[in-house]
Amino acid sequence: MNVPIGAYLAVSLGLLVLGLIGVMRRRNPLLLLLSVELMLNAGNVALIGFSRQWDDPAGQVFALVVMVVAAAEVVIGLGLTVSIFRTRTNLDVDELSSMRG
Amino acid sequence: MATALAWIVLVVPLVSGIVLTGWPSEPPHVVTRVLGVGSILVSFILSVAIFVGLLTNAADDRSFTSSAFEWISLGGVDVDLSILVDPLSVMMMLIITGVGFLIHLYSVEYMDHDRDYRRFFACMNLFVFAMLLLVLAANFFFLIVGWAFVGLASYLLIGFWYQRPSAVAAAKKAFVINVIGDVGLVLGAFLILRTLGTLDYGEAFARAPEMGAQSGTALAICLLLFVGAAAKSAQVPLHTWLPDAMEGPTPVSALIHAATMVTAGVYLIVRCNAFFDLSWLAGDIVAFVGAITLLLAATVALQQVDIKRVLAWSTVSQVGYMVMAVGLGAYASGMFMLMAHAFYKAALFLAAGIIIHALNDEQSLDRMGGLRKYLRVAFFGMGAGCLAIAGIPGFAGFFAKDDVLASALTYGGFGVFCWVVGVVGAFLTALYMFRMLFRAFFGPEPAGGYDPRPHPSHWWMAVPVVILGILSIVGGWLQAPFGWREVDGWLSPVVGTGAEVVVPEHTAEIITMIVSVTAAVAGIALAWWLFGADPERRIRLAKMAAGPRRVMNDAWEFDRAYDDVFVEPSRDLANVMSTSVEPAGPQGIISGTAALMRGASRVVSASQSGMVRAYAFWMVLGISLAGIVIALVVAGAS
Repeated sequence: MNVPIGAYLAVSLGLLVLGLIGVMRRRNPLLLLLSVELMLNAGNVALIGFSRQWDDPAGQVFALVVMVVAAAEVVIGLGLTVSIFRTRTNLDVDELSSMRG
Repeated sequence: MATALAWIVLVVPLVSGIVLTGWPSEPPHVVTRVLGVGSILVSFILSVAIFVGLLTNAADDRSFTSSAFEWISLGGVDVDLSILVDPLSVMMMLIITGVGFLIHLYSVEYMDHDRDYRRFFACMNLFVFAMLLLVLAANFFFLIVGWAFVGLASYLLIGFWYQRPSAVAAAKKAFVINVIGDVGLVLGAFLILRTLGTLDYGEAFARAPEMGAQSGTALAICLLLFVGAAAKSAQVPLHTWLPDAMEGPTPVSALIHAATMVTAGVYLIVRCNAFFDLSWLAGDIVAFVGAITLLLAATVALQQVDIKRVLAWSTVSQVGYMVMAVGLGAYASGMFMLMAHAFYKAALFLAAGIIIHALNDEQSLDRMGGLRKYLRVAFFGMGAGCLAIAGIPGFAGFFAKDDVLASALTYGGFGVFCWVVGVVGAFLTALYMFRMLFRAFFGPEPAGGYDPRPHPSHWWMAVPVVILGILSIVGGWLQAPFGWREVDGWLSPVVGTGAEVVVPEHTAEIITMIVSVTAAVAGIALAWWLFGADPERRIRLAKMAAGPRRVMNDAWEFDRAYDDVFVEPSRDLANVMSTSVEPAGPQGIISGTAALMRGASRVVSASQSGMVRAYAFWMVLGISLAGIVIALVVAGAS
């Protein structure tokens, strides 16, 4: 089965747009992190698509690296979220604006 | 040989001063004494050795130069760190280290109760070094270095008791006026360098006649040098710092503000006699200033109640005599008077110091009287000093002052004017000095007597006073009318024997002797009538002359005039600048820049909202725009 590169890119673009909208619209930090994961995986889909297109395993290797980085990022993000929740009880990123310039 | 010893003489007080300064804590008094006084003693002994060594040489073989190394070599001008040992500098060395040693010895006890014992001796040693550098320098460059160091040491010692605001103000005043003099001296040196192309004494004096006699350049050089000399030697109108300098400890007044530093101006003129011989006008101006100074200061001294201020004004007056003498070309007479004055004025100051010490820092003549019963050493020192300064035959001042006056009379013309002023000055000198003597040592004790009883001094203070008292008696016999002229002979290799050099004639000597001794005796008699015989008389008479007394009490209003002409306008100008010009000008530019930055940053910082979602929006927008631009560029390129 030969999936055309356009299909990969269409899925990738769809995921990216969903992630972007999620980051800009959602107020819950957990969902924010989820949306960031979506965008990262949009990138992964594009990488794997190109890897198959050019028959070059480097793209797949890079997708694995992105997954590791994403896992690390989620660990930190969730840790922060938990500790914020402990001190403030509600989770709304719009109210976490004490770093306002 | 002589120069090697002179280097040691120069360096020993410096090393001692540095060691005392660098000692980690206040050293034990015995260490300070050994270093502070011992170093000056070593210098004095070596100076005597140099003097004896020069005496054995022929008169034309008594001048040696020694160069340590080249200091500056620039555009054909070479300045070496070099010293000149010749009869004039050796004479000054003997006075500085000899009188200096006695005064250091005296300070051992006088300053004993002061908590800054080490600082005092360190500063005094620095002064001796600076003064020796001033007289030993073989070029104008190091003369100026020594000159400035002397001013610094004077500043440090006038302000020695820095807790007193008056002492700090006096130190500042002395420094400022001395710097005015320094500017004159430096400009004079520049003019010498420009005209003659050298700063070296030997070369400059040898080539001085190239400027031509009575030329404008010679006149300018002489007058610029004299500005320096007048500031250092407290001549009108730059004299106002010296009476205030009495805020320093009494040994300082004796050494710096009487015996040595204030005579530096006289030394400078004698050293530069090759220039002053070229311009009779410069010499006459110098003599005129000296004559005015000696008369003015003598009238002020009549009124002073502070015993040290009497002596300070007397110093101004006596230095006026010396300046007058050297201005007229009687260089040896001026130097002779410088030496005699060092003896008797040091004796007077140190005796006054004994009184001040015995009365627990009391300096007012109003609270003295009848002290001769208690303080015999001080009475001897002050009595010998007063007789000497008044010019009673046999005492040092008689020979020295008459030598100066006879030289003035010999000069003729303008010199006769100077002679008349000098004789009037001699009368006033006898009057004010014996006023002080009678009011302090004779008459009734102050109301209520002394409490506690004045205590006599220990030998540290007594011995220097006795030695200086004896020197005030015998020190004048070096040069006697109709007899021998040892000072003339000693200095002749330096000042020459040309037509411009004045040596008194015998007729002038006879006339001067008769007139000046009469004036001195009349002054003493009047002093006795006014202040000695009946202590109430002066109070009755004082009421009759209130106006002139007030003017003289304010020292002819010089300080007030300086305030009106220089200080007040400067302060007004500064006020205008600080209230109107500065806020609008420099301050406005700075504040404006700051306000601009603050406004701009307020606009930019609004974007830092703290809203994570807004950041994400802007980021997406930015990336999208960047993507569109890149896409357009790529599309345009293909």
